[in-house]
Amino acid sequence: MKTKTFRQNAVTYGIVILFYLICQGLILSGNMSSLMKGLMVPICYYVILAVSLNLVVGISGELSLGHAGFMCIGAYASAIFAVCVDGKMPEGLELFLALIIGAAITAVFGFLIGIPVLRLRGDYLAIVTLAFGEIIKNVVNAVYLGVDENGLHFSMKDSLSLGLSEEGLTIMNGAQGISGLPRTANLTIGIVLVLITLFIVLNLMNSRQGRAIMAIRDNRIAAESIGLSVSKYKMMAFVISAALAGVAGVLYSHNLSALQATSKNFGYNQSIMILVFVVLGGIGNIRGSMIAAVILTILPEKLRFLSDYRMLIYAIVLISMMLFNSAPKAIEWRKSLAERFARKKDIPAETAGKEAR
Amino acid sequence: MSSFLTYLINGISLGSVYAIIALGYTMVYGIAKMLNFAHGDVIMVGGYTVFVICSTLGLPPFVGILSAVVVCTVLGVVIERVAYKPLREASSLSVLITAIGVSYFLQNAALIIFGADTKSFQNVINVPSLTLMDGQVTVSGVTMVTILSCALILIGLTTFINKTKTGQAMLAVSEDKGAATLMGINVNRTIAVTFAIGSALAAIAGVLLCSAYPVLSSTTGAMPGIKAFTAAVFGGIGSIPGALIGGIIMGVIENLSKAYISSQLSDAIVFAVLIVVLLVKPTGLMGKQIQEKV
Amino acid sequence: MAEQKKNMLSVESLSISFGGLKAVDNFHIQIKPHELYGLIGPNGAGKTTVFNLLTGVYKPDTGSILLDGQNITGKHTIDINHAGIARTFQNIRLFGNLTVLDNVKAGLHAHYTYGMLSGIFRTPKFRKMEREMDQKAMEILKVFDLDGAADYKASQLPYGKQRKLEISRALATEPKLLLLDEPAAGMNPQETQELMDTIRFVRDHFDMTILLIEHDMKLVSGICEELTVLNFGQVLCQGETKAVLNNPEVIKAYLGD
Repeated sequence: MKTKTFRQNAVTYGIVILFYLICQGLILSGNMSSLMKGLMVPICYYVILAVSLNLVVGISGELSLGHAGFMCIGAYASAIFAVCVDGKMPEGLELFLALIIGAAITAVFGFLIGIPVLRLRGDYLAIVTLAFGEIIKNVVNAVYLGVDENGLHFSMKDSLSLGLSEEGLTIMNGAQGISGLPRTANLTIGIVLVLITLFIVLNLMNSRQGRAIMAIRDNRIAAESIGLSVSKYKMMAFVISAALAGVAGVLYSHNLSALQATSKNFGYNQSIMILVFVVLGGIGNIRGSMIAAVILTILPEKLRFLSDYRMLIYAIVLISMMLFNSAPKAIEWRKSLAERFARKKDIPAETAGKEAR
Repeated sequence: MSSFLTYLINGISLGSVYAIIALGYTMVYGIAKMLNFAHGDVIMVGGYTVFVICSTLGLPPFVGILSAVVVCTVLGVVIERVAYKPLREASSLSVLITAIGVSYFLQNAALIIFGADTKSFQNVINVPSLTLMDGQVTVSGVTMVTILSCALILIGLTTFINKTKTGQAMLAVSEDKGAATLMGINVNRTIAVTFAIGSALAAIAGVLLCSAYPVLSSTTGAMPGIKAFTAAVFGGIGSIPGALIGGIIMGVIENLSKAYISSQLSDAIVFAVLIVVLLVKPTGLMGKQIQEKV
Repeated sequence: MAEQKKNMLSVESLSISFGGLKAVDNFHIQIKPHELYGLIGPNGAGKTTVFNLLTGVYKPDTGSILLDGQNITGKHTIDINHAGIARTFQNIRLFGNLTVLDNVKAGLHAHYTYGMLSGIFRTPKFRKMEREMDQKAMEILKVFDLDGAADYKASQLPYGKQRKLEISRALATEPKLLLLDEPAAGMNPQETQELMDTIRFVRDHFDMTILLIEHDMKLVSGICEELTVLNFGQVLCQGETKAVLNNPEVIKAYLGD
């Protein structure tokens, strides 16, 4: 059992490293199109988002529709930091600190949002995560933040009301977002973060805490009856997932020169897209959501003629996956199919036996 | 004062639309025990149907409205049959994800058929506006029609549920599916009827919404849908008068916060109300407590 | 007071009503340490409700529950488990997607601890604790002859073994008092016989007090030392097994008029 999970995890890490070596080889030998090069960092943050969302949806069993909101917090927190320290420290150090700050601040928000959210269940929980995601996006778009020699200035009205001195710098400019960001993210950093994400999630799953999280998912009442604290472990999964989404946000903001919160990148649609990765890869299947994220990021770009239909296809994928995986009739049908296959295999064995006799 | 009154009346009107949508949510939730995420997008389909019939084909408004009701009713029943019925015994997580898939499907199908640019919706409700308080307050025809339709729908629906056999069957199924089956009620048919009624109401809501806010895009129904769900939860999910009260409160909150706080944050405020309601009184104003059996 | 101290479980005037209906009315029971105690009664008598009250799933309207002298009335399920009550469920509640081994290890959760970071970074403490948990869990599974199925998913087990796994999981929390809700439901006579032996073995081997709900009269009379009969939410009769089973009122409640 132990060795089996160990082998499984090794394969998952191996796939990531192999992917990295192939991509890096293609880049260094000049065989990768600029389009694909531009996809390298997005692939990494989508994988991180998918894996971290799977921690909540698959491992903890709660549907979160606000994952992009956490990504938004990570992106903005790190972008503010980046603009504030611009040129004052080496790029590498800046990115390292931005990652820590992004993850930490998102974790704090994850905790604060988790307190009300995790008191709810099922559909209500899902709709409230959606609400929080939209609130985050709306609030970020309404905030103006500036800095000058007198310190930080804050306004919800417009950049003029910040009252900055001439030397002052507008950091967050409402819906126009944050500009002047360092584009320091690259494939190598992305892959390292993917590996760290996998390390955290996979090891957590195979620990005492992960066991408790999954036990609560499988049967909440039984979990309480053996003394497992439902709120503690649900919160643990939620906060770790949020922090990792924050890391993805840092990667996102460090891949752009200007950051804006739109419904496309941090809205409900993005949250659904991440959910599609998770569902397609298999709810609870970490490696699956990773692969689904990579394929669904590359495919629409490769098959341009499909791009108009991309979202429609996602929708159909979502519906058919659910019907195929969860409809009682489909499950029965799959079982009978599997049995038939098993029987077919048995028949030659039987006849072989008869011949021997 | 007069501007406040205008905002209030417009809020009640918007709230009436939310109430009509919320009725669909609340009935489906009460009977099929599922959050029909695609309900908001049925509104959008209703809007586009009227657009095609009236603006493109140039037919009279009542044909457009009637077609919208028919198209949405059929759509609602088809969605239930294809996507939700096979999952009736599945976990709520799978049902919800499927419903999100259906919502996404409708939005993107509309995007492909009608394009990404927003269509300007031609008002199909030609009723003169009313002037009150020596011309200080003007109530548009659409506003009056909206509030009136909401009232009529509510009366009609209540009568239907209390006086007809199908309505009683709906009550029975919402109370206890198993027992209803034993009493000879066709549960599948009752759920289908519920979806049909909910979707027909969504079509009417679509017409009213697009007449008041005459822009039409593939995501027209998404936000009102979510807000109406909020309204349904606020009023107490499963409760018909609750949907009305919740809808109107929601509409008034939204319009007043747009006017007096920030238009940028009005959505955030509506969502914040939802969160507070769910935490403080998850059963809503008029809902009832359900206990898990151990 | 002195007498109460001697009891493992001491319940006085426990009541709860649901919407005007008194589901459990003035229930009382005294169970001595190391005792095998049976709670019987016709369908709908409120037996499972008593379990739900004892384990904090429901909060009682009135009454007190003392476990080994400690007042646990109105406490949360989680705290009651930590205080020393573990249970099984009438409709089996396993962690279906976890392995049989992990189901038991989840029960060991409170007794073998290490921090989250220890788990993520695979520290020596993590390894040591997991190894000890594996050993302990296998030990418990062996008692129920489930050690061979340790790597199966719990939901793949046949019905009878699922019941046994539920008992194993409850035992893993090292309770003072074990509540079994119809442990023999759905088992054939031979399986029931085996289960009776196992329950007795568990009581002796783990030095445990056991309260069980049962329909199967043979099981009850075979292993229970004392019985309480519940009828319409009220205690109908209490005492030594033989005396209770011969009580005419009990016979009437079971066979009807």
